[in-house]
Amino acid sequence: MRLLPYGPRAVLVEFDTLDQMMASASSWRNADIAGVVDVVPATRTVLVVHDGTLDERQLVAPIGATRALPAGEPVTLDVEYDGDDLAGVALACGLSVQEAIDLHCGAEYTVAFCGFMPGFAYLVGLPPLLQLPRRSTPRTRVPAGSVAIAAEFAGIYPRESPGGWHLLGHTNAILWDDSRTPPAMLPPGTRVRFRPT
Amino acid sequence: MISVESWGIAGSIVDVGRTGLAWLGQSRGGAVDVSSLALANRLVGNPANAAGIETSGGLSMTFGQPTMVAIAGAVADVGVTGGQATGWGSHVVLPAGAQLRVGRLTDGARLYLAVRGGLAIAVDGLRVGPDPGEPAATEPAPRAPLTTRLRVWPGPRVDWFQSSAWPTLLAATFEVTSTSRVGVRLEGAALSARSDRELPSEGLVEGAIQVPPDGQPIIMLADHPTTGGYPVIAVIDPADLRHAAQAAVGTTLRFVPAR
Repeated sequence: MRLLPYGPRAVLVEFDTLDQMMASASSWRNADIAGVVDVVPATRTVLVVHDGTLDERQLVAPIGATRALPAGEPVTLDVEYDGDDLAGVALACGLSVQEAIDLHCGAEYTVAFCGFMPGFAYLVGLPPLLQLPRRSTPRTRVPAGSVAIAAEFAGIYPRESPGGWHLLGHTNAILWDDSRTPPAMLPPGTRVRFRPT
Repeated sequence: MISVESWGIAGSIVDVGRTGLAWLGQSRGGAVDVSSLALANRLVGNPANAAGIETSGGLSMTFGQPTMVAIAGAVADVGVTGGQATGWGSHVVLPAGAQLRVGRLTDGARLYLAVRGGLAIAVDGLRVGPDPGEPAATEPAPRAPLTTRLRVWPGPRVDWFQSSAWPTLLAATFEVTSTSRVGVRLEGAALSARSDRELPSEGLVEGAIQVPPDGQPIIMLADHPTTGGYPVIAVIDPADLRHAAQAAVGTTLRFVPAR
């Protein structure tokens, strides 16, 4: 764990692995330190944003001292496997379409971090057999609710946007709703399963 | 009701935004220069977080009822038909039927217009909220001058750059080539990374100075992405963020150490 300075109201903490990052981000959230306003996980780092009243020692105290939040029940998302890239993904992975679907919905995922757009969750747990580099040419328009994969991650597009992930299907779940607390359906740490319809 | 004939350049309704949602992928949003929105609100007796208008010029609106308004942030050519002229930093009450036009900005990048009661978007225009019950400011606000010397702290990836980059950041001048709600693009001496290695995406804050491979820095503002893959060389002191928010295209900026 390395502490990197980020001005008077934040510190960036870097880890060697995604697993260490996820466990530490969860500890921070569980510790619920007064004065911490945001705990932002990313691939190898956690950005801890505070109100300017905390020093580094107070900020890193929960690591190792506070347990990660207990994992909740998994959220199950109903998916229609009708994505434009499904056949191509199966072919590229040396699988039948049904095998690709079975692998995708047979795994259990965890939200490692959010980013790219509000409510876009990067899910880890994608079976290695389904891991492909992102598309060489991104689409200018990916529909909202698209269930997609790229590299080691699975994800769902909360709203229409450009995107370079492989589209396997779609869900009708509302991933971002401003009137909900929290507004994201899949915050970091959430366990996720997909169920074919 | 207020009808808006033209929102002008980057015109929209803004409040102070929402903090604490970056972990879900949502940056603060809201007014790029929060302090100027708060000032405009204070002048008309609103709470600091009431919704007002942010525009970079070219706004035109007509008031359906007598309305108290105030302007803060950037200085602009402001014209009023059918009512009293509206200056910077003080409030006026415009009668029903008055039209207010914000022309070209002459100093600063974003102007804020507050209406007593606050604003909300309705089907046929803008709706004015209930009277806040607090008195409007009795004195005009003095205008704090904009500075082009921004205080900076070392960022998390200062070591990602060649050893000359930090001294260059503090010695060179940088010209604003564009400004949006996402960030301010600068052009000046190149800040070179040690290698062309890629950085995994990591969290960003408002005021972070990111440097893409071309070496030309970008200052993150209210709608910045919550994570980014370009190294952050420095962070602007929160007290100077408003100056970054008000730096118009063509402005020459310098960076000085925060301590």
